[in-house]
Amino acid sequence: MGFGRPLGRGLLIVALALYTAFAASPFVWVFVLSLRTTTEIYADPYGLPLPPHFGKFADAWLGSSYDVYFMNSVAVVFSAVAIVTVVGAMAAHCLARYQFRGNRALYFLIFSTLIFPPQVTIIALFQILIEYQLFDTRIGLILVYVSLQLPITVYILESFFRRVPSDLFDAARIDGYSEVVIFWRISLPVAWPAISTTIIVNTILLWNEFLFAIVLISSDSKRTLPIGILKFMGDQSNDVGMVATGLMIAIVPVVAIYVFFSEKLIQGMTAGAVK
Amino acid sequence: MAVVELIGVTKTYPGGTQPAVQGVDLRIEHGEFMVLLGPSGCGKSTTLRMIAGLESITAGTLCIDDLVINRVPARDRDIAMVFQSYALYPHMSVRDNMAFGLRRRGFSRPDIERRVASVADGLGLGPYLDRRPFALSGGQRQRVALGRAIVREPKVFLFDEPLSNLDAALRTSTRGELARLHQNLGATMIYVTHDQVEAMTLGDRICIMSSGKVVQIGRPMDVYSRPADIFVAGFLGSPPMNLLPATIEVDGGSHAIRLGDQRVPIPATMPASDMRPGPVIFGIRPEDMAVVTADSLEAQVATVAPLGAETILSLALPGVPQEALLRAARDVALRPGDHVRVACDLATASFFDPDTGRALSSRLSVGA
Repeated sequence: MGFGRPLGRGLLIVALALYTAFAASPFVWVFVLSLRTTTEIYADPYGLPLPPHFGKFADAWLGSSYDVYFMNSVAVVFSAVAIVTVVGAMAAHCLARYQFRGNRALYFLIFSTLIFPPQVTIIALFQILIEYQLFDTRIGLILVYVSLQLPITVYILESFFRRVPSDLFDAARIDGYSEVVIFWRISLPVAWPAISTTIIVNTILLWNEFLFAIVLISSDSKRTLPIGILKFMGDQSNDVGMVATGLMIAIVPVVAIYVFFSEKLIQGMTAGAVK
Repeated sequence: MAVVELIGVTKTYPGGTQPAVQGVDLRIEHGEFMVLLGPSGCGKSTTLRMIAGLESITAGTLCIDDLVINRVPARDRDIAMVFQSYALYPHMSVRDNMAFGLRRRGFSRPDIERRVASVADGLGLGPYLDRRPFALSGGQRQRVALGRAIVREPKVFLFDEPLSNLDAALRTSTRGELARLHQNLGATMIYVTHDQVEAMTLGDRICIMSSGKVVQIGRPMDVYSRPADIFVAGFLGSPPMNLLPATIEVDGGSHAIRLGDQRVPIPATMPASDMRPGPVIFGIRPEDMAVVTADSLEAQVATVAPLGAETILSLALPGVPQEALLRAARDVALRPGDHVRVACDLATASFFDPDTGRALSSRLSVGA
């Protein structure tokens, strides 16, 4: 034991503490703001929530239709993520496992759509949704979200499936299983770390998605949370306190998803590492 | 148990110019342990995968019990396979790995439990049934892979280099277990390896392959002592057979081998004594040469390699461009530079055509 080790450890702790403060302070500040009224915030922007106004959460949830926006977000995002995960995993499995004519061409076609910023598609999507009477519907928004996230999902999962030894699939074939069952019983469980990653990434991205939600949904009853929060930001005044309260409500499911799936993700990665 | 027969089986991969496997004719009898032996890329694993149904067959016929199964999918062939990587399902326990194939075949839950427990006990896996593969050692994983095959009680067992990921000690003990397993089950087994020791110790017969073709089939000692060509002669044995350029000379009625500057008379009773004069490749195993005191071949010791149980001498023969290896006793008192006299047991020697590489006096032939 020398001087260097405690010193290095101390420096590491300081660096980690600074980084944690840097990363967490906006979250903590919004949490503090969510417990204060807008009047209190304008009077003292950095003040403590004394007394804390927990009733603001009930006001936002019931009085400002947050319950509706929240449930819309849950329905749209969870449906889209479920479809993207299953369809993306199936596509990735096929592209990685089966040699067929045009395999790489198809892969690069899907991959190439990542190059274009999603904004360039918005007018076309708007027209398509109107054409198929899907404008201002949750199903329309779900389909758009699926199309947005499918390429990156296929890209991530395909590279993972490609690394899974083909012997596993051969063993399952010899054990008597069909290709479809092999996908469900072998591919999906083995790829769980990668699938967890795509679920986390897609949920966070879509939960916070604003542009397509505001363009493709016009009814207040079908709005998702990011658009709902906009209600508190007007031309004349901003209800900063309620915006913060809305943000805290919006964050809860994302944190829950992250905690649940990241634990599974780490379990999977640890299993691979020990092996 | 089953008879597996390959008739002119050929495999060409899409875009490939050369067939990976070409015209393989092979019949594996009921309960036989057949070893496919050859260097990397010789087509032995491809042949095994075609038998398993994991690769399509480009041409030829594959039969199990006289039933053509070229187009029968792997799942319907009643075959079990042990992979080089073991291919254990990482997300399943040992118990589930072994039961996975049985569930598909509609066995009842109690029957599956009974079979898995019985096989696991036999392989010493009882305490590990609830563990995942990553929590097992290499040897334990290998046994799980074996158990997964055994529990199915298939018609044919296929092994694709199952010992190559084990350390030397474990490989030796597992080899013994495999031999006992074959004795106990009496099942038809096809085993792919590039390790000649595995082939010699396990196989009832060995099928040696090179460049996608069968070079020789026979019982291990037959193949070892009478190689069909210089490839087999050089591939089998460690150290391999000495392959020395020589000339058959006929002087009057007597034959002799000219080895560089020296001449070795061939007794009239020897198999090579009816050969025509001309150049040959003279093949002699290192253990079929001996350092003697009597009048015989002169040689100079080039290197001495003590291996513990024996000593390998490298000998320079006058006028012969390459050195010959001789397997001597471990206590041989020779040093590099020493001049010695060497005798060859011509009864065990092989002679090969220098142009084709085929044996000239081999008692065995391809397909035997």
